[in-house]
Amino acid sequence: MAQIVVDRVRHLYRPPRGKPVLALEDVSLEVREREFLALLGPSGCGKSTLLYLIGGFLPVESGGIAVDGKPVAAPGPDRGIVFQHFALFPWKTVRGNILYGLERQGMPSAERQKRAQQFIDLVGLTGFEDSYPSHLSGGMKQRAALARTLAFDPKILLMDEPFGALDAQTRHLMQTELLGIWQRTPKTVIFVTHDVQEAVYLADRVAVMSARPGRIKTIVDIKVDKTDPGVFKAKAFVDKVDEIWNLVKEEAIKAQVEHAS
Amino acid sequence: MTAGLMKMLLRYSPLLILAIGWELVSRLGLVSSDALPSLSAVAAAWIDLVRDGDLVSNGLSSLYRGGAGLALAIVIGGVLGILMARWKPVNVIFGPIVEIFYPVPKTALIPITVIWLGLGDGSKILLIFLGCMIPVTIGAFNGARSAEQALIWSARSMGADRIRILWDVVVPSALPELLNGIRTALALAFILLVASELITAQNGFGYLIGSLGDNGNYDAMYAVVLTVALLGFAADRLYQLLMHEMLIWRH
Amino acid sequence: MAALDLAPPQLPTVRALHAALRVSARVASVVALLVAWELLARSGLLTPYQLPRLSTVLAHIWSDAITGDLPFNTAVTIGRAMLGFAIAASGGVALGVAMSRIPLARWFFDPLVSIGFPMPKIAFLPVIILWLGVYNVSKLTMIVFDSIFPVIAATIIAIQGVERELIWSARNMGAGERELLWQIVLPAALPQIMTGLQVALPLALIVAVLTEMLMGGYGLGAAMMTASRFANSVGVFAGIVEIAVVGYALVKAMALIRRRLLIWHQEAAEPTA
Repeated sequence: MAQIVVDRVRHLYRPPRGKPVLALEDVSLEVREREFLALLGPSGCGKSTLLYLIGGFLPVESGGIAVDGKPVAAPGPDRGIVFQHFALFPWKTVRGNILYGLERQGMPSAERQKRAQQFIDLVGLTGFEDSYPSHLSGGMKQRAALARTLAFDPKILLMDEPFGALDAQTRHLMQTELLGIWQRTPKTVIFVTHDVQEAVYLADRVAVMSARPGRIKTIVDIKVDKTDPGVFKAKAFVDKVDEIWNLVKEEAIKAQVEHAS
Repeated sequence: MTAGLMKMLLRYSPLLILAIGWELVSRLGLVSSDALPSLSAVAAAWIDLVRDGDLVSNGLSSLYRGGAGLALAIVIGGVLGILMARWKPVNVIFGPIVEIFYPVPKTALIPITVIWLGLGDGSKILLIFLGCMIPVTIGAFNGARSAEQALIWSARSMGADRIRILWDVVVPSALPELLNGIRTALALAFILLVASELITAQNGFGYLIGSLGDNGNYDAMYAVVLTVALLGFAADRLYQLLMHEMLIWRH
Repeated sequence: MAALDLAPPQLPTVRALHAALRVSARVASVVALLVAWELLARSGLLTPYQLPRLSTVLAHIWSDAITGDLPFNTAVTIGRAMLGFAIAASGGVALGVAMSRIPLARWFFDPLVSIGFPMPKIAFLPVIILWLGVYNVSKLTMIVFDSIFPVIAATIIAIQGVERELIWSARNMGAGERELLWQIVLPAALPQIMTGLQVALPLALIVAVLTEMLMGGYGLGAAMMTASRFANSVGVFAGIVEIAVVGYALVKAMALIRRRLLIWHQEAAEPTA
């Protein structure tokens, strides 16, 4: 039994001005427990929207989404989300941000402090616990956001292009760290990205989405040895990237045409 | 056309509800008719005032004073602000004066203008001129300062002299902030006008409100108060349209 | 913008030097203006009635300070302004929150706020006096009526501007509706609400002085009006100086409070203007 079942989901985007746009059409997907799934597709294909639907932040137009058999109705701490632009509470310190989720869960104070420190250390922000987000670099902010979500121990991790706002070097570092963290504390991860290399490096399976209105085009299994330090140059890796890139390219071109019209 | 009209009606319908509520409250005698005359009585008084010519003649006195003061403030304040932005010496002399008078409540200038020019039109025009000059100067200054250096350099390289640059590059760049400053000045002009006329005047809206109140003619007093309030609102709205027209090349 | 990691932080001494230069430039211009005033008054171009000497005005202020008139009137005016401001601030934020979250409240109050904003509301003072009499409560009502508008407008904009992802993150962690409002939305909206409050406070002072001028009683505005009626130009100039100083002090106090409360805000990462 898959942990997350997305069943023929349809979603309409209603802008404050203008006509509604069909963002997702007939999307079906199953995510197994503890697997790392990448959602890949061109801009505007609705991959973030699908993530928000699974997270319970947006309502489903028709069809259904179930987690562990129960339909998704609202956001909850079982599905932790990490956003591209960090969404840290700017008036709280790093520690304060992490403590917030633990406070919501009613954890006793001493235990909260200990757990928060544990995750601050895990993401490498020791020494910056009492800094405010406005004083941190992009990479540090993302680490804080990650620590904040991991701290309340969600079964499922929803990541919306989390490294998209970072520079190339930081992005690479964060990818490796994320993989390390995931291997140590396995969770189900749904990772939205438009970067094919990132998807192949991180994921067990890659779901390629079509241009708008989005549907799942193909799902590709990734069998690559991630422990190899030169993995980005390995033949298996490069071939996989090519294979998936060709799938995405068609959709990217379609998306461009639609943008122009 | 009708969709837009419907939307506007819906947006302003709470005012209609309030108006009906007002009429009902006074008709039902819930409040003393002295303190709150019915809306229909106020409307009737308004018509009388217009017919007698009181409203129009006093209105014109007020508008003349306000208009003159504001016009002077716009011209002199605008020029001063732009010069301050582009000529160091002007800034050195006038900068501190503007900065110091910025936080002074302009209404506090009322007694001083009376000391200088007495109780007539002159003091009120001076009051509005001095008070409104501050936001206009600041708007012109900030606007002129924001004129992109690159634009100025290319104008200069095309052989434009200082005056031309001012006219062709600096003024258009300064326009948005300058126009915003004028908008503030417009609202301020109304306030200073009403305030100074409520204190001492022989004609004008403020004078009319005061004398009607003193005579217990509350229907008419309400009528004039609402007229002034709505004029202030209408002036702002019209000015916004004007601003939009002038800045249309920006959008 | 947050400071780049790689940019060298300004040495504390350099930053202090810059701040000291800015302050002394301001002080220098004020001093220059005051000197110009005194010289102009002494020059004989204007009569002592039209422009009394700064020294005379200062002496007047000093004697008022000693007799206790000045502290009393200042306290009355500031007290009035602060009370009106407090009511306008709490009422304005509450109304702004209501208008942001309850569509019916939005629909009902929106035309009132948008029409009321540019109106010369001082025109309503005679109506307020008609209802509430020639007492302090009328002055207070006028102050609240004037100052509440910028607070409402700022609150609405602030709440609408709260990032969707902040709210979603909080929901994600299990926050309920009430917790969302007080723990997330209001703190996130605080910077912009504070800006509205920084507009409302000087406005409250202005209206306090104005109502005192129009209605008499106690306070700096009333005192200045009395001086005017007795053709006491020294008293009038003294009044302006006193009001200007009070206004300046209030604005500075507000800026200080803002800096303390919003120490976490983006602006705090940059040197202050």
